Amino acid sequence: MPSATVSLTPGLSTFQKSLKTREVESSIEQFISLLKRRQIRNSRPCALATAELLLKVVGEFPKRDAAKLFERIRSVGQRLIAAQPREMVVGNIVRRVLSLVRLIINDLEHEDDSLDASGANTPAQLHSPRPKLHSTFSMISPLKHGMQPLDSTALHDPSGLRDLPSRPPLLTSHTSYAPTGAPTVTSLFGLFSHPTASDSNTSTPPNYNSPSSSKPISFAEKIFKIEEHQQDIKTDVVDGIKEILEELEIVDEQIASNALDHIHSNEIILTHTSSLTVQKFLLTAARKRKFTVVHVEGYPNESDEVHDTLLNGARTGEPTTDERWKPLTAAGITVILIPDSAVFAIMSRVNKVILATHTVLANGGLVAACGAKVIAQAAKCHQTPVVVLSGVYKLSPVYPFDCEELIEFGDAGRVAGYEEGEFVERIAVENPLYDYVAPELVDLYISNLGGHAPSYLYHVVAEHYNVEDVNLGA
Amino acid sequence: MTLHTPSTDFPIVSTYRRLLAQDPDLTMPVAAIESLVEALQAHPTSTISETLNTISTLSDTLIKSTANPISLMAGTDLFRRYLTTSLRPGSILGGSLGVGDFDAIRRHLLSERYLFVSNAKEARAQIASIGKRFVRDGCTVLTTGGSRVVAALLNEAAENSKSGGSIRFKVIYVLPSNSSSQTQNRGPEGADVVSTLREKGVPVATISEGAVAYAMGKVDMVIVGAEGVVENGGVISRLGTCQIGMLAKSAGKPFYVVAESHKFVRIFPLGQYDLPVDQNVVDFKVEDEKSSRGKSKLNDIEEGVEMSAQDGFFPSTLANANVEDAVDFTPPEYISGIITESGVLTPSAVSEELIKIWF
Repeated sequence: MPSATVSLTPGLSTFQKSLKTREVESSIEQFISLLKRRQIRNSRPCALATAELLLKVVGEFPKRDAAKLFERIRSVGQRLIAAQPREMVVGNIVRRVLSLVRLIINDLEHEDDSLDASGANTPAQLHSPRPKLHSTFSMISPLKHGMQPLDSTALHDPSGLRDLPSRPPLLTSHTSYAPTGAPTVTSLFGLFSHPTASDSNTSTPPNYNSPSSSKPISFAEKIFKIEEHQQDIKTDVVDGIKEILEELEIVDEQIASNALDHIHSNEIILTHTSSLTVQKFLLTAARKRKFTVVHVEGYPNESDEVHDTLLNGARTGEPTTDERWKPLTAAGITVILIPDSAVFAIMSRVNKVILATHTVLANGGLVAACGAKVIAQAAKCHQTPVVVLSGVYKLSPVYPFDCEELIEFGDAGRVAGYEEGEFVERIAVENPLYDYVAPELVDLYISNLGGHAPSYLYHVVAEHYNVEDVNLGA
Repeated sequence: MTLHTPSTDFPIVSTYRRLLAQDPDLTMPVAAIESLVEALQAHPTSTISETLNTISTLSDTLIKSTANPISLMAGTDLFRRYLTTSLRPGSILGGSLGVGDFDAIRRHLLSERYLFVSNAKEARAQIASIGKRFVRDGCTVLTTGGSRVVAALLNEAAENSKSGGSIRFKVIYVLPSNSSSQTQNRGPEGADVVSTLREKGVPVATISEGAVAYAMGKVDMVIVGAEGVVENGGVISRLGTCQIGMLAKSAGKPFYVVAESHKFVRIFPLGQYDLPVDQNVVDFKVEDEKSSRGKSKLNDIEEGVEMSAQDGFFPSTLANANVEDAVDFTPPEYISGIITESGVLTPSAVSEELIKIWF
């Protein structure tokens, strides 16, 4: 059996296995080289591997020092992002973990403050994933809340690292496993705030009695304070990462639970790629309803997997495992496979387009397997609704300043084999792997939190990531 | 209860004008806030409602004195809201805490007032550093108006290209063509930006408003400034912005607005004629203008659209000033993104930001 493992091509499962035995540093190196060689690719495996690696990094971090831990995660994250910038989920997971650490430090700080200030008045905020929603109309507010105008820096700190019960985030009924809590977007009151002295390690602790002289509590100071109290944030961080892992595990089921709201009887659904998320979504709907699926082949990059999925059902994990979902046809669904060139012709009959995605960007656009843009444009032309299924972990806070740099090009040999020497000699062959689909071509996103309009995604982004962590790679 | 008498004494309008004149980099909302703070300083108020009354009276005076108060309103509204929000818990709890809060806020405002200006400038620099990432190598940016934020953004991008960066970009600057009197005096709005950019080695083409559609094919993105960003995500900006937005949309080019978030204003215009501004852009007449004047231009042919027709007589008549300072409303569907100091927002994010401070 060990020999079999060795002969396997390295990938997610081998990485996961070796993670248990290897040293942290060599695991990081291994992951980086796997990313570089594209042996771990696509959103889900990358997300899983990143989260598990970070879990190990945090778990085996030798000291109790919060600042060093934060720095450590950050630097590891930067290396991973640099290894494969186009796998944006790697960066997403790193940012999620970083904002988690910030939140935990913030919470501890907050707990400290209220302990200092009023003894027993400790809100149990450490364990609530997000701050309680204070109504601004509420007349009764905790003491801390009432004191806020004094500590205006904490309220208006544009860095987003302010004390928790500041302006409540807009009411959202969704719950996620995200370590949210940082208020969504910078308040307009930023104009009245003190400049953020983010590097003012030397400044004195804030004096609440003289507001005019109070300095913003910088992140570094908060960390410093935590160190003083010798609190270990490691277990909290580990728990948080485990929650992210859990989210990755159940994300498809959560998305699929929306299926019956979107797929109706006798509809014709068009989809492409062999995405597990989409297959699960369709299968869930197929339990109750009969509909027709038009599957776009996705030649050359996706076609083999699409054929395989249609015939044998979607794989539940790595290509190495043989666990599968049953194919759609087994659930009594009529499946029609069409070549990519027929998308426009068939679009007039389609009721709904359901797309899988590689990454969703902050502006509501998405990067998906090549062919997605053609489908979305054709759908627009026929006024067919386009629904994109994407877990929140695929949602990146990165703004697509340059759409072209997001597109990755793959093996041209899949379009025209290298054995056709003359052809390859004379003709340039290109094989883009992804398409950028502009936000105006998408009608709805379904994530594990529910449905969102593309223009609303900025809010989900703000809920899950910290503004300061966005420019990690830079 | 003579709450209003002391406050109305304060020369709020002249203070506001003086502040604007003193610092050419000062934006209208910040100047409005500054002058309100100065007024507070000059007139010690002891109760919350007195303060709020004073502020609102002064704001109204200020708004009435300006022909186009949208930008100013953003400032005064924000300031009032800030005061109310900060004072609310104190006023509710009453007693010593309330008084303490009030004094603290007052002191904070008065002692830190210079901070607001520097915060506002900081915001502009922040926008420039975010916005310059939009300017990619080899792209052509179309812009218009005299927005300082746009200027800062383009300058930052130009600096980038100068200091060893690989960003080479071109700018098409839409300059107002109608102001013959202006050209002689101090050049049209934006002319100084054009010359600074050219100094930095950025190729700049200046075109008239009529050439926008013609030039749109060469453009990769449009970046404009704004006087106010309204609740639905649309912007109020110099007359002509809306048509650029429409042209950009029809050509499929991204149209970005740069604005500091203190320009967000809580109005919801339903159309062009729903703005709280009195402007006489479309002016129907039956009597012919004195078209015998030597430099009769298009103006008179263009059906009733008054374009500095009398500039031969009074370089700065009201009618003239009106068209020069006129604004239009660009609906949110034409806007790809609003670049603020807190990042790039979609137009729909604006309402959330406003809701966050008002409700």
